[in-house]
Amino acid sequence: MAEVKPPDSRRCSYFFLYDGSKVRGEGDPTRDGICYFYPEETPLDKQDLLCGQLAGVGRCVSELSSSAVRTLRLRRCKFAIRMKEDLFWALGCSMEVPTVSVRELLDHLIDLFCFYNGSVRQSYQLNSKESLAAEWARCLAHVLSGPSELHCIFQSVRTVDLTNVDPLLLLKAALILQACQRCPLVLAGCVLFRGRVVSTQMPPQLTTKVMVHESDTYSKTQRSSGASTPSADGGPVSSTAVFLTPSELQFLQAAPVDKTSRSRFTPEKDASPKKTRLSRTLSDTPSLESESSRPTSCQSPEKAPFSPSMSGSEDSVFSPAPSQSAAGSPYPSPLSPVRLFSNGGNSYETVEGALDESHYHSFYSSEDGVSQIHSEGDGSAFEENLCLNGGASGGGATCGTTPEPRGADCGGDPLRDDTTAAGDVGVCSRKAEGHKAEMRQPPPGSCAFDSLEESPLIPMTLYTHRVNSLVLALLVEPCFMSDTASMEEVNHSSLASLNGLEAHLRAVSSAAPGAAGPYLFAHYDYIQSTLTTNVSGRPGGAPEHPFVRATSLLHSHFFDTETLQEAIIRSAGTAVYGTRSVAQETYFQQHGASMRNSGIPNQQDSAFSLPSKARHRLLKHGVNLL
Amino acid sequence: MTARKSLLKVILLGDGGVGKSSIMNRYVTNKFDAHLFHTIGVEFLNKTLEVDGSQVTLQIWDTAGQERFRSLRTPFYRGSDCCLLTFSVDDNQSFLNLSNWKKEFIYYADVKEPENFPFVVLGNKVDVTERQVSAEEARMWCQENGDYPYFETSAKDATNVAVAFEEAVHRALAADDKADHLIPTDTVKLHRKPRSATACCS
Repeated sequence: MAEVKPPDSRRCSYFFLYDGSKVRGEGDPTRDGICYFYPEETPLDKQDLLCGQLAGVGRCVSELSSSAVRTLRLRRCKFAIRMKEDLFWALGCSMEVPTVSVRELLDHLIDLFCFYNGSVRQSYQLNSKESLAAEWARCLAHVLSGPSELHCIFQSVRTVDLTNVDPLLLLKAALILQACQRCPLVLAGCVLFRGRVVSTQMPPQLTTKVMVHESDTYSKTQRSSGASTPSADGGPVSSTAVFLTPSELQFLQAAPVDKTSRSRFTPEKDASPKKTRLSRTLSDTPSLESESSRPTSCQSPEKAPFSPSMSGSEDSVFSPAPSQSAAGSPYPSPLSPVRLFSNGGNSYETVEGALDESHYHSFYSSEDGVSQIHSEGDGSAFEENLCLNGGASGGGATCGTTPEPRGADCGGDPLRDDTTAAGDVGVCSRKAEGHKAEMRQPPPGSCAFDSLEESPLIPMTLYTHRVNSLVLALLVEPCFMSDTASMEEVNHSSLASLNGLEAHLRAVSSAAPGAAGPYLFAHYDYIQSTLTTNVSGRPGGAPEHPFVRATSLLHSHFFDTETLQEAIIRSAGTAVYGTRSVAQETYFQQHGASMRNSGIPNQQDSAFSLPSKARHRLLKHGVNLL
Repeated sequence: MTARKSLLKVILLGDGGVGKSSIMNRYVTNKFDAHLFHTIGVEFLNKTLEVDGSQVTLQIWDTAGQERFRSLRTPFYRGSDCCLLTFSVDDNQSFLNLSNWKKEFIYYADVKEPENFPFVVLGNKVDVTERQVSAEEARMWCQENGDYPYFETSAKDATNVAVAFEEAVHRALAADDKADHLIPTDTVKLHRKPRSATACCS
């Protein structure tokens, strides 16, 4: 049920937010600048010391190199760093955690905070330090609450066990979401069952953020009373204010949903809801005649329709034909990305480009200079591609065109962590040298930048409707909650199906999971940000630890070396095989195989049979390595 | 008499496209949507009614009519208190399939006494002008198969929908009463003997 566990100290030793603007003069105490420090029980002196040192080093290095610092090492701790104006964040993890994962954790944490609280600077103007400290604690708990260490290495979205659920039920969930989108105030949504995704129309990053609210409300209802258990009829509906980045909004609006811009301007509408309705029948296409003639205020030609990546094939099959609607949904809000970019399509690009560039000059990578060259060349090529698809479209949108390994994740930036590279670990790999940067190009409009850079956040509302263990979560326009007609429409179109889906999924999930085989595996899908694994992550999972460790090392290597496709990492007793493609990463360890390993290359070495074993074994988990 | 059931499960069965979902939506939300997608598996809505002064929650289960959804829907037949066999008056095949639906229901719902189980038959889409099934034919079938009540409904213009559900509720409650009446008479005898025996001993 996506319970929030206390942060795992292995995964996070320190986290703090430091506001440099509070400490200007020589005599100003450092602690005035500390907005939040985890662990909260850390003695103030130590807090001062750490904040002062890291912020000082960070500031110094960034001034010298005129680029942002992304990672710092202090003794046995690895700190991901983020700086924006006077704000300074640091998240410290043990050295075992891959650098890329630490950075992703920090980016995700900040994004999460901004999603529920708006921009950091503004929220500190509006709220007390204490209440925001509670917010940081909440976000931190969620970011670190993955069921296993693997979920910490791969920031993944948890989904229902797809091998166990009838695909028709996934289709059913996707149809519920589409039916809700017939209401023009509904942007997109996802269906969750017991804290796991059944279907989503949102990019993985956004889905993860939405799930936080779901698990919060769930634990709240669990705690508050056993008596008022949600009943199937009506179901408790809740809502909360959230903030989207322009690129997230852009992505959601780019999805092929038939909506009229008209009803946005006049929410009282009823002008022609029938006509604009999306048929739920497969063969039907939305009637365009009345709307297509309408001139739209947005001329952006770029909005090619994309299927949200997560709902996969169902969506691409069952989505209606691309309609005028995506291009015709300008917001009344002046913050609308349409307005932002329509008059200066390039402006965003330039900002992105500059960012990318600065990203490559980082503390560590500036040593080798290679990355810098790549950043410029590849960056521009990518931006061009981007421009075709939509000036400022979100990371997820690019999934449609460019298979990009770091799909929609945050801060998948190209800083190379040379400090943890090969060297001391015995990696035997078919590794081709030659670093190319295009694969690790940070996703354009990656939310990490949105929330921190100039782009303003757009207020939205997160509406959730719970039916027992099933939750329908929708991102809606803020006016939705006061529009009873729309609420009723959404409720009517979804309630029966939600009831049914809940009944179906409950029946499915009661089936016991099959016993794990004599092997361990982990399979990460970049596009959907999903992790499939038989690693339990239970506290007593000591035998799993070497596998997790090897996976973490290999993951770092894959990240550092784009051309690396397969690798085996081994000790005297066992070996772990890792392979990756543009869309996925897979790790496999066979138990009980006697390792015939004489220390010199040997054809009889059983480690070399791992790839074929992995291919064979993982097929039944739905992982195709062919 | 024991307290009446407060939750009644009523299930709609029939060929795909005869209007089961529309009938349910019309009855519960009083809305009609001509563009509903096939139901996948099952869905349900609750409606609270007052019957003879007591509150009854009617749980209406709508099922997928298409053959390919069979394995998804059949597990949910169990525990039904009444079955609404539905066909479309403009589709003769859907009428001919009624017997199959009845068989499928009795098999999967594990009905103990099929001859006493309350079925109600609905001929939907009477708003359509070109009928393929006459009211007489339908009544005849109902009579021959167990004297089921028959309603000609239209989810589109709300004809007879509420009436049909009310009849279903009454039949279900009546069957329930009958069962209440029958089962205790059997069990009472079994239970009384040992009880009186212990009373004697002590």
